[in-house]
Amino acid sequence: MHAPAEPILDEAIVDEVIARYPDATGDVLSMLEELQHRHPHRYLPRPTLEQVARKTGLSRSQIYSVVTFYSFFNLKPQGRHTIAVCRGTACHTRGSRGLLESLANRLGIPPAEREQATFTSPGREVTIRTVACFGQCALAPVVAADEEIHGHMTDLKLRALADHVLTAEARP
Amino acid sequence: MKLLDLDSLSDIRKIGMGKLLPGKPRIGVGLGTCGIGNGAQAVFAALERAIGAAGLDAMLVPVGCFGFCAAEPLVSVHLPGRPLVLLDRVRPEEAPDIVAAIAAHTIPESRALCRIEDWDHFTSQTHFGRGFPQIPLWRDIPFFHGQKKIVLRNCGLINPSDIEEYIAIGGYHAFYHALQKPNPLEIIEEVKRSKLRGRGGAGYPTGTKWALLQKAEADIKYVICNADEGDPGAYMNRNEIESDPHMLLEGMLIGAFATGATEGIVYLRAEYPLAVERLRRAVDEARALGLIGANILGTRFCFEMKLVEGAGAFVCGEETAMIASLEGRAGRPRPRPPFPAQRGLWGKPTNINNVETWCNIPVIIARGGAWFAEIGTSNSSGTKVFSLVGKIKNTGLVEMPLGSPLKRIVYDIGGGAPSGKRVKAVQTGGPSGGCIPASLFDTPVDYEALAGIGAIMGSGGMVVMDEDNCMVDVARYFVEFTHAESCGKCIPCRVDLDQALRMLNRITAGQATDQDLVDLEELSQMIKECSLCGLGQTAPNPVLTTLRHFRHEYEEHLRAKRCRAGICEQMFLSPCENSCPLHMRIPWFLQLLKEGRLEDAAELVWLDNPLPASTGRICQHPCENQCRRAGVDDAVNMREVHRYISDVVLEGDMLDGVLARLLARKLPATGRRVAVVGAGPSGLAAAFYLALFGHAVTVYESREEAGGMLRYALPEYRLPKAMLAKEIRAIERLGVAFEFNRTLGSNLSLDALAADVDAVFLAIGTWKGHAAGITGEDAPGVWHAIGFLEQVVRAKPPEMGRAVVVVGGGNAAIDSARTCLRLGCEVTIVYRRDRRDMPAISAEVDDALREGARLELFYTPLRVVREADGRVAGLECLRTKPGDYDASGRRTPVSTNEKVIFPCNSIIMAVGERPDAAPLRQSAIQVRENDTAAADYVTYQTNRPKVYAGGDLVTGASNVSSTMATGKAAAAAIDRQLMHQDRMSALLGTFEIAPELSVDPPGGPRNESAHLPADARRGSFAEVAAGFTPDQAIAECVRCLRCDVKETCAAHAAGGHRA
Repeated sequence: MHAPAEPILDEAIVDEVIARYPDATGDVLSMLEELQHRHPHRYLPRPTLEQVARKTGLSRSQIYSVVTFYSFFNLKPQGRHTIAVCRGTACHTRGSRGLLESLANRLGIPPAEREQATFTSPGREVTIRTVACFGQCALAPVVAADEEIHGHMTDLKLRALADHVLTAEARP
Repeated sequence: MKLLDLDSLSDIRKIGMGKLLPGKPRIGVGLGTCGIGNGAQAVFAALERAIGAAGLDAMLVPVGCFGFCAAEPLVSVHLPGRPLVLLDRVRPEEAPDIVAAIAAHTIPESRALCRIEDWDHFTSQTHFGRGFPQIPLWRDIPFFHGQKKIVLRNCGLINPSDIEEYIAIGGYHAFYHALQKPNPLEIIEEVKRSKLRGRGGAGYPTGTKWALLQKAEADIKYVICNADEGDPGAYMNRNEIESDPHMLLEGMLIGAFATGATEGIVYLRAEYPLAVERLRRAVDEARALGLIGANILGTRFCFEMKLVEGAGAFVCGEETAMIASLEGRAGRPRPRPPFPAQRGLWGKPTNINNVETWCNIPVIIARGGAWFAEIGTSNSSGTKVFSLVGKIKNTGLVEMPLGSPLKRIVYDIGGGAPSGKRVKAVQTGGPSGGCIPASLFDTPVDYEALAGIGAIMGSGGMVVMDEDNCMVDVARYFVEFTHAESCGKCIPCRVDLDQALRMLNRITAGQATDQDLVDLEELSQMIKECSLCGLGQTAPNPVLTTLRHFRHEYEEHLRAKRCRAGICEQMFLSPCENSCPLHMRIPWFLQLLKEGRLEDAAELVWLDNPLPASTGRICQHPCENQCRRAGVDDAVNMREVHRYISDVVLEGDMLDGVLARLLARKLPATGRRVAVVGAGPSGLAAAFYLALFGHAVTVYESREEAGGMLRYALPEYRLPKAMLAKEIRAIERLGVAFEFNRTLGSNLSLDALAADVDAVFLAIGTWKGHAAGITGEDAPGVWHAIGFLEQVVRAKPPEMGRAVVVVGGGNAAIDSARTCLRLGCEVTIVYRRDRRDMPAISAEVDDALREGARLELFYTPLRVVREADGRVAGLECLRTKPGDYDASGRRTPVSTNEKVIFPCNSIIMAVGERPDAAPLRQSAIQVRENDTAAADYVTYQTNRPKVYAGGDLVTGASNVSSTMATGKAAAAAIDRQLMHQDRMSALLGTFEIAPELSVDPPGGPRNESAHLPADARRGSFAEVAAGFTPDQAIAECVRCLRCDVKETCAAHAAGGHRA
């Protein structure tokens, strides 16, 4: 499958966001969080990061260090939908690893990519990510599809959910 | 409006009271994240509509979470002057009924969980009212009983987004009074007096920490709230902020004033959007009232507050890493000293406390430190909120005084594991904590006691594990987590956790060596001692505690390549196969039968299980406990399917064909000779495999026929002997020789045998009754179950009289009881524990009751009552009641001092069968205290070279499939010893199986075999269960979810199937 082109974030938008954080050193996380949020594919492309470095005077190495350290930041474009599988302890004891596996299978994620913390389906319909814990342990195992919590997940329910997301995407 | 003094605070309090007790019905819906996850939002909307439709004058408010997550959505209803009533598991469609009841000045009592008449907020008291006596008080609900809600004092009762309600219950009053103190040091003294310790996990005394900040001199000082609740399995901080954000703000304000800080930061997980939203709103509300900002409450105290969202790094819970993160850098910790109180955020003195620590402060100031110190233990004062999750019935947030024993929390409040399984361990403290085995549940939960057993309090996460959890996998899971979250700054944590993870991966994949275990332990110790920060120093705790308390599980993975819990998937085909003692490849024979390949299915069934028709009738079917289909409707009835396959073969004309296939698989003759002593299921299984390996096998049996307990103790109505005889004949035709009437120790010498052959397998079973220790049992009229059953099988039933008492709860007890019923007796079964503790197959117990047996639980036999002429007149028992929980999670019977006599004419003792160990001792075979033979649990080798032992002789009385499994394993070990290679898997071979999978669960409801009606069974030994019809068998196969198909991308794409 051919990956769609990657739109970059308009420089004016980046400038506008930077301007709202006068204390660039202390607020760099919040600034980057907002920039990522503004990107239609919820990620931070390299030109954006370079612009931040240029405009704030922060070193490129510090910015790169930050965006690679925190799991919140994405350096790759994200899918149009997100399915987050909780990998908290309660969910683990109730079988969340198997759910993650079967979801990856369902969406055709090559095994090599599954080592990453997040992975995106080849057509960018959906990104699967793991979450350390939603704090929804009473509903374990828990999966969030586009931020809506689905509790007491089973393999079968999850497959249906993934199919639902994929078919919703396939519609014109 | 800015609050300037106590009067203006009191004005707000009155407004707030008007909302809490509005003089009209007030309905609260628990809208915490977990409530919302359970559909509370829809309930709220439905109630809103229903109130509108009914034109009811009532107040509907969102409240926080009352902590009982398993009962969400929770709705509270308060009618003026009546108690507050909690409704649990409310569904939107119930809204009209609820509203209609309220309109009629009552509440839907049948939907009520509990009532609250008075509530102590600790900053004030609320009197709701009296009434509804039939609804239990909240404290009488097991989940709440013993809880002390100090931190959760307002959660679920007030609207978290309304500062007026918080002020109404006395909120910000402690802060006001603190501000009036001429010397802020008094506040610190009060906190010191409370002995409050940090609730983030390490337990450092809060007052001491504050004093350090207070002493530090600087132009600016910070107080920080650590709300980066990163421990997976812990969510109390989220709930505290979502349900009552102002208590956190008030705590921080008091702390800031006491220490001279002027800026506060809450570092909150971005994964908690609702907590972020509510806290942000709370800060805005407080600022609007002048509780945050300049010249607060008309004083010179100024304080600014900021909320920072963490970007997802566990290590940022470490205080120096958090500071780095707040300074816009990667969150890597640095060595201490200097401590944050000396050089913290931006180099300024800083104090960091956990959410819950701050939340305790307003109560300590309101009620006094001495009052607080009285709660809990002398070293660990106050309460702690625990998130009780995992394999537990009542999940939720539990606030207990510190020092409460773990078992109170797990069993009394949590209700134990759901679905009747046994709790194995509790994991406390997240990735930094440890696993506590059930045998240590007496441990009081305080900082020191937990540390003493290798665990930690941590943030209060308690994840309960049951027998389906693999402790090696748990350790692997946590190391995977800490490995991924290691910041990479120091080598012990970065490199050695990686190595530890590799070792654990090898162990869970069944590829590790003994050396890996030694290395893992050494490495863990090293990481603990050498890492820079708390993350690395505590990361090995899950490994070290599981090694300490669950070493046998590691060893089983290493040596037997077995994950008993069925988690480490690389070691098994499917959950059913893994739980089957014989490791029958169940999904395969189901699929083969479904495809109409009956002969293939039969070949596979026999290869895996040499007595498939017998086990198909009487096996305990542990496979069903693990069947994933049970999550859809009911487990697949696998046992009946292999009974069906073998019945068709044995009763039809297919046996020759199947035997021909088995003979074709038989390996060439080796010239080795093996003797098997005992022709019970274990000996037969061993002989079967040894013969297929090509060895010359002779089975020596003391009785006149083969079959052991199956032949001589199993009643005909469960296992027709004709069927068993056909199975044994099949084994004989594969080349096994039998010599009957040969008894070890009399006309068979182990020493001579061992000298003559290449290996001996001993499987002489547990035929000896063992005294139960009750007065008068060694006289006529009292039978041991096995002896009694054998006489009946030999068609010489003893004279039992009219009434029989059977003592015991195992299969032998139930078999004896049902046999007596068939002999026309009245039967009472006496068992010392609860019904669910009976080891017998549950369906058999049901059948016994259906056939007319009486079951008397919680009785311990004391003495046989006899007539003057010596005849049995009854059994005197001590009545007991369930006492405290023992190490197995079962409640130990304790005496009630009440004695009861069950009148009867004879008594069957179905307890304590033992092997006859005398001949073993004579031949210097090591024997354990209970007369069982000591043998390795993987190879079944005894202390004597060439001599192996298995079956009940080694395990004590067990069940048919477990005992056969030891024979199968011993055969593999003997062959390995003789041939110097592992030939079992080659012998068992593989089958071409189509990898069918469907998204929807295939097939219909579970099929059951037809049973003789209960009234037709009296006096008849005809077989009770008829077995499947062909249609039923196929329909049952279709229900399999095919867990054996390890779905992979490639398989998906190519439609291929597993090798």
